[in-house]
Amino acid sequence: MLHKDEAIVLFKRAYGESDKIIRLFTLTSGKIAAIAKGASKSQKRFANTLEPFNHIRVEYFEKFGKGLVRIDNADIVETNSGIERSLRRASTAAFFTEFADRLTKDRERNIDLFHTLKEVLLFTKQRELSYMDILRYELKMLETLGYMPNFTACVYCGKNVKEEMKVCFSRERGGILCSACSSPLPHRVYSAGTIPGIARIGNNHHRSAFEVHDKEGLPYMQDTGDVKRFEREAREIMEGFISFHLDVEFKSYRILKSLMG
Amino acid sequence: MYYPEPIERLIENMTRLPGIGRKTATRLAFFLLNAKESYVSELSHSLLDIKDKIKLCSVCFNITDVDPCRICTDEKRDQSTVCVVEESSHMMVLESASPGVYRYHILHGVINPIEGIGPDEVRIKELKERIEREGIREVIIATNPNIEGNTTAHYIGELLKHLDVKISRIASGVPVGGDIVYIDPLTIKSSIENRKDI
Ligand SMILES: [Zn+2]
Ligand SMILES: [Zn+2]
Repeated sequence: MLHKDEAIVLFKRAYGESDKIIRLFTLTSGKIAAIAKGASKSQKRFANTLEPFNHIRVEYFEKFGKGLVRIDNADIVETNSGIERSLRRASTAAFFTEFADRLTKDRERNIDLFHTLKEVLLFTKQRELSYMDILRYELKMLETLGYMPNFTACVYCGKNVKEEMKVCFSRERGGILCSACSSPLPHRVYSAGTIPGIARIGNNHHRSAFEVHDKEGLPYMQDTGDVKRFEREAREIMEGFISFHLDVEFKSYRILKSLMG
Repeated sequence: MYYPEPIERLIENMTRLPGIGRKTATRLAFFLLNAKESYVSELSHSLLDIKDKIKLCSVCFNITDVDPCRICTDEKRDQSTVCVVEESSHMMVLESASPGVYRYHILHGVINPIEGIGPDEVRIKELKERIEREGIREVIIATNPNIEGNTTAHYIGELLKHLDVKISRIASGVPVGGDIVYIDPLTIKSSIENRKDI
């Protein structure tokens, strides 16, 4: 049957002589895999809309029981134009697109994730995102996916941990540990402000990254040295959480990381 | 049922070729078994030669049997301009459109972060070194006009910004002999933005 939907193009790969294999994140049906027949030949007028990071309106045909849907028509809502302007923008867009692609299953509707991805791609077109912006959207995506690290209570015993005691993070268990549980369990110790800082950025997820000044509201941060340390530690926590707790590697992350210094 | 070991081995090896199944491989194997000695010898030598004699040109990275390749040593071509393409096959297309005019640089890929391909995975560093070494004055970037090709073009532009070199990008627009009615909005937009004086 024929479906009409909005979608963000996550991935494309040439297939055979002239077809394209596409993954879309649709507004109403989540992630779907699709084939566009003859897409690499210029006669198909919608072919060039099926490029990563494009926001499109799409018509696709679904045969019951078949994995790949067939794209019959597509047109542009918002192009990816602007993302190509720097490697930093391109790898930031790729990182968030991979985030949505790798951490979702086929056909799981997630309207919040759709809008978050749409928003971060739009911002990436307009400017280069700072690390704080990237962290904010990373946390926002984890929240919409239900994978937010636990920054409130000890992930082992469940006891609430006081703000100033939030220093131990277990990347394997995906959250903080209280002082009693931390001694027998693998963890790393971070500076006093780091974990509360990440938690605060995570709680501000409903605000656009650009309404919040980079340093606003982060405790224990006096100078740029503190900010640098926060970024370094936050990055280690997020990297560890994603690769050990969620068990995924994003191909674009190595490139993005090399640009963040 | 199994054939004698040498035939089995040939069938097995040929089934690894794209589009060849066991049935076709068997047919080919028996064809070769009955073919003239001289033909089989010539075929096996030509197979060895592509591995032995074909390499990448140390200047432009095109596939070649002599190094530098015949294009790089062709004195009649413009020495001050280099045309940057994604693959050797793309170079062939440009070359057949304008035979004997340009010199090329083959990147062997494009920047594509989703696939984990960054600038170090393609021959961009070598392009910069070559431009400095040869005193090239103009670089024409002929990567595909999609997100990966455009990202690569911008990256090259940024990398060469400090050198005294003119950088241009192939235009996208209405194809020659085309009809505006049948052209998609993105291409039309680009053709208007890239318009030129008459
Ligand atoms: Zn505990
Ligand atoms: Zn050459």
